[in-house]
Amino acid sequence: MSAAQHQALVLCSVSFVAFIFFLCFLLPLRRTKFSVFAACNLFFVALMFGAVALLDLSGGRAEIMVAVLTELPVVLIVAWVCLALAGGLHDRLPAEPVTRRPWLRRTLGSAPLVLLLSVGLATVVGLVWPSPALRVYAPAPPQFFVLKGLIMAPEVLYSGFASVVFVMAGLAPGLKRRFYFKNLAFSVGMACIALIALESTVFAGLRVWLSGEGRRAILETLNTLEACLAISCILAFAAGLSLRYTPAVATTLLHRLQTGWLHTQEQFESLEWQAVSSGAADRLTHASNAVVEACRIKGLSESDTQKALATIRLVAVMRDPSSETQQITPDAARKLYELQEEILCDDVLASKISWAAGWRSRADEPQTVKSAPLHDALKAALELVDNHGKSEGVRTPPLWYYIVAVSAADAKMIDPTHLSMQLRDGAEHRAAVEAYDAAKRALQLFEELDAERRLREE
Amino acid sequence: MNVDAPKRDLAGAILNRLTGFWRPLRNLSAARPRVNGSRSLLTAAEFQEELAILGLSGRRFEPEDYSDALGEYLDISITVHVIPDSWYPELSRLLALSGRLGELRYSEQLNLAAIFVPGSLPPLVLTLTILHELGHLAAGDLLIEPDEQFEDDQHAEQTIFATLPLKKGKKLARGYPFAKESLREREANLRASYALFAGCLGDDSPYAHDMYDVL
Repeated sequence: MSAAQHQALVLCSVSFVAFIFFLCFLLPLRRTKFSVFAACNLFFVALMFGAVALLDLSGGRAEIMVAVLTELPVVLIVAWVCLALAGGLHDRLPAEPVTRRPWLRRTLGSAPLVLLLSVGLATVVGLVWPSPALRVYAPAPPQFFVLKGLIMAPEVLYSGFASVVFVMAGLAPGLKRRFYFKNLAFSVGMACIALIALESTVFAGLRVWLSGEGRRAILETLNTLEACLAISCILAFAAGLSLRYTPAVATTLLHRLQTGWLHTQEQFESLEWQAVSSGAADRLTHASNAVVEACRIKGLSESDTQKALATIRLVAVMRDPSSETQQITPDAARKLYELQEEILCDDVLASKISWAAGWRSRADEPQTVKSAPLHDALKAALELVDNHGKSEGVRTPPLWYYIVAVSAADAKMIDPTHLSMQLRDGAEHRAAVEAYDAAKRALQLFEELDAERRLREE
Repeated sequence: MNVDAPKRDLAGAILNRLTGFWRPLRNLSAARPRVNGSRSLLTAAEFQEELAILGLSGRRFEPEDYSDALGEYLDISITVHVIPDSWYPELSRLLALSGRLGELRYSEQLNLAAIFVPGSLPPLVLTLTILHELGHLAAGDLLIEPDEQFEDDQHAEQTIFATLPLKKGKKLARGYPFAKESLREREANLRASYALFAGCLGDDSPYAHDMYDVL
């Protein structure tokens, strides 16, 4: 067996072991397009080196063709990685550092074209001026260096760029640990490819220009270095591919939330606001003022007052027969409430989805599905409109709920005779009635004073 | 949304004509240009790319941060005015009667965009309305000359829609604005909902993950 066949056998064994490792451990664990592509590439490389080890293909143009074909899988890997980083693969996003640098995106996107062109050019050079490409330690003419340089120079450049981009992606502030290691592993893998390409070019140069005693020893050392780099590269890629991360929120769930809950809540709230602002629900003004004042008299918190206000608005809009409010029905309210409950079942999601209480009001606590007045208001309004105040479960309703019920009944938004006994008996109800009556009297007095003041001004 | 376009002189018209010749050449160097005059609606993944350009990908952010970053990128001043009902009680009523929730004004001369929203809007609707109007700015919807001759022969099941080129100016989106107004509004709604979720989730957004997990 010649030295070339021996080297081919070593590379064939490394590639085959790596292929088996990919097939048995990585692919069942995580099947991405890249892992499938890498496995196919490894199999192809193993076949190529196996053929070189078993058959004596040295001599003439066949040697050049085999040499170029053994380079091709690595070239394809570099092209694929660069294209993936540039976001050139179908349905895949570019790497974050590339997005902000259009020149880098263009450079990485050009990799497949430039690399394949350089391989084509190298093949032409090799076929026109054949050289002992497979005979590892044999002296070679300068054309061999040109052939190697044509393939390796762009490979060094692109794999170097890719390695730097992976490092940049991995060093992004606040990145999850797993992504840091994943990008670091790929960066090491691409750096190994760049170093192998550089070593290969130096090796070709030494074969052309180096002579004398130490020549063979130097070339053998470089060969060992190349094998070590190849093993490191495969291990780094295997490590990178095996690191998995499952996001806390799945894409499908996010899509469902966007089209389901968010769309429904926005529609519901904006229609309600339009109905109230355009004066469609004209019974509302007095009732809501009285509710707010009654809450103030009883010393309720701002949060409870907002819930009471939201509930009376909802009851008014749902009970209003005008065309502006026809889309806000108990059914629509129930649908929205159920969607909100669905989100609240997911602790991670419920804690994360929030929105500011106002523009540039960072001091205020942001609202969540749970904390926003609408959630409790929907439940309360549905109970008042549909169940006539029959609260679901054994829980005693809060005081703000009684105030809204009294106010809604007084404003004829709900039928007072249908209010459940549960609601009408007890201290809470009496307290709500007292507060509401006091609030109404206060508002009436204020209106009289206001009318007098206007009269005096005229 | 309204645009205050500057008055143009003869030199301006010639310059515009020259810009028209230059545009196809400039587009040749774009990363993934869509100059064929049609495209589909914005996806969440495409929006994530826009966020990455603004430096907001993988970060939790508020609409204020998005507005500031967008203004900086577009090199315009964006101001949001939340008008309390006590200041101008008619604003809410007029907007509500017209079926709108906010108003966007843009002046090319002053390099200024102003968003007006009534303070009485519920917080979630207020946030989404501001993000919706910012979405128009990101898409470059204010930089087109609406084509009055545009015939709406598009079918409901269609996923690719006609676009219009920009007069001039800068946009964040890769694609050109849609020719049809209802589609521009629909896309602004999409941008608003994507922005809200991306801002809430930060690095927990699955789309943000994809930018650090390309292989």
